[in-house]
Amino acid sequence: MSSLDAREALRLDDVRKVYGTADNPVTALDGVTLRLPTGSFTAVMGPSGSGKSTLLQCAAGLDRATSGSVTVAGQPIPTGGEAAVTKFRRDRIGFVFQQFNLLPTLTALENVTLPARLAGRRVDRKRCATLLAQVGLGDRLHHRPAQLSGGQQQRVAIARALASSPALIFADEPTGALDSRAAREVLALLATAVRDHGQTVVMVTHDPAAAAYAGAVVFLADGRIVGHLARPTADAVAERLAHLTDAVAVAGV
Amino acid sequence: MVTLALRTLRHRTGGFLATFAATFLGATILMAFASLFDTAAGGVDTATEETLTLMASVAGGWCLLIVAFAVTSTLTLAVRQRDRELALLRSVGATPGQVGRMVVVEAAVVALAAAVLAVPAGYGLGRLLFTLLVRTDQVPAEVAYRFGSIAVGIGVGVTVLGALLAALATARRLGRMAAQEALVADEPRRMGWKRVAAGVLLVAVGANNGLLTVLLFSGAGSDAMQTAGSASIFASAGLALLSPALIRAVTAVLGGPLARLGGAGGWLTVANLRRRSHQLGGALMPIILFTGISVGTLVMQSVENRADAPGGTIPASMQRNIETLNLVVVGMIALFAAIMLVNTLIAATTYRRREFGQQRLAGATPGQVRRMVGAEAAVLAVTGVLAGSVASLATIVPYTIARTDRLVPDAPAVIWPAIALAAVVLTLAASIGSARRALRTPAVEAVGLTA
Repeated sequence: MSSLDAREALRLDDVRKVYGTADNPVTALDGVTLRLPTGSFTAVMGPSGSGKSTLLQCAAGLDRATSGSVTVAGQPIPTGGEAAVTKFRRDRIGFVFQQFNLLPTLTALENVTLPARLAGRRVDRKRCATLLAQVGLGDRLHHRPAQLSGGQQQRVAIARALASSPALIFADEPTGALDSRAAREVLALLATAVRDHGQTVVMVTHDPAAAAYAGAVVFLADGRIVGHLARPTADAVAERLAHLTDAVAVAGV
Repeated sequence: MVTLALRTLRHRTGGFLATFAATFLGATILMAFASLFDTAAGGVDTATEETLTLMASVAGGWCLLIVAFAVTSTLTLAVRQRDRELALLRSVGATPGQVGRMVVVEAAVVALAAAVLAVPAGYGLGRLLFTLLVRTDQVPAEVAYRFGSIAVGIGVGVTVLGALLAALATARRLGRMAAQEALVADEPRRMGWKRVAAGVLLVAVGANNGLLTVLLFSGAGSDAMQTAGSASIFASAGLALLSPALIRAVTAVLGGPLARLGGAGGWLTVANLRRRSHQLGGALMPIILFTGISVGTLVMQSVENRADAPGGTIPASMQRNIETLNLVVVGMIALFAAIMLVNTLIAATTYRRREFGQQRLAGATPGQVRRMVGAEAAVLAVTGVLAGSVASLATIVPYTIARTDRLVPDAPAVIWPAIALAAVVLTLAASIGSARRALRTPAVEAVGLTA
């Protein structure tokens, strides 16, 4: 691994993803090339159907690209079965989902220790408890997801994603199921992880206010990258997005 | 709500398969036995009438208990799996009464359809049973087999009524929950006192029957079967009702070592066993019934067959009758319990598709998920076989003492291991098989499913 690769948390080269049958192919990603440096906070935006979720799933190894290559921290995602990809993923990638996806039978602390247990690593309960305290849940360690609010569950999910110090955290509409106050808290936590701990975060969102927390925005339309915006503001993002949506609507006619 | 109920039935047929299967089989078995009443009522001689009535009431009576048990527990499980969906209905404005009516209508339609479709199957099985009785010379060949109103009435009546009662009880439980509470509902920590009381009572009745066997029928030959035979059935049913408590007890003993030595899979298993003892209890019930009743009755019959003097007030001509009866009861109950076991495990595992998806997204490989399910199934199987074996002793020990003045039964040593092995294999195969199928859905898709 060269030093250049090490500074590159995520690299997509001409990634294509085609769904459907040979007679009726649906191209979800149409040759996406993207490089994200370590310690960056990137929002991926686009109209619905633009391929945002597919991009995230292919980049995270949850789905397989039809062609092209995906490299996480200098290592290509393996082509083996689910077990091989899972092992690759749990050492390098953290996830934050819209629906939290915490295990209902486990407490907050147990949920945070779960990835290390699954990976067969030593479980550092103290560090996990500290992470939960950092996301403001120091007094909720032994609560189960059903006993926590949506915002609290999402903060547990962030602590879980941070626990393995992954090369990359993917957040898929992390504020989609939250009220605006809880959403702001969650976004601030992600931004803090990037700023203070050098985490790399890729966030898919449709909310310009959420995207404004990121350091850069990548715009996607019809499975292609159609624009970049550095140091975004909510207004600038909303304007670009409106143009994209119009353009897609016109193209659709 | 009635329209919604029918639409749900049309679109989610799979979800009702378990209820349908339990009701269909239950109705088939009940009709088969009840048709012997129809045959007896069709003008036969007194001895034949007695044989047929005895067979129908004793064997059919036990099947009735088991069928009612199976239908209600399957239906309760099926509704419980839809807690979230029902809570969702509540949160968009359905009143508890409306949701309750929907559950009851669904149950009634499924149970009625299954019971009606079971009529030809019940006729076939009843005919088979009757042929068996004729072949073993217990019923003269000139008697004609009849299948009539008693068979249909009991078969349809019991299963539909059982399903309706279970649906009403579940609907009442849903009604007591506030909508929001229902959305995040945790399972209860403790069993309701009524359930504990019923379980303890059944175990006590079983123990009492065992005691009566020794006190009243020592040296009275096969008369002892009158009380001994039912002892293990009562004890098994009682322990089955107490199954969440059994799971907690076993977890208290095995939990520590399993979590330490079983890796991440073992650790997850223990978390599940501790916090889902009620759900897993549903799967434990049939294992206990299967093991307890099969082992108890088969060993009792073997002791009887090997006993020196026939003795007792039962004439020798009836001995054969009783043996057939015992084997038929065991066969029916074992078959039914096995189907109920597989049914419950498949339903429970498929319901957890979303949870498996969440585990996989948290970094569990498919192998780890399978191992976790396997460990859980192993704990269930071992617990169920142990509890069932204890329940079977309520029949075996008193009968052996009463019949042979020994403590250890003179019976083929193969009975217990064979039945225990069957229970373990069925449990493991059904759990791991359905987990395998659930794992075929990609993880991201699985967590998106509305469980």
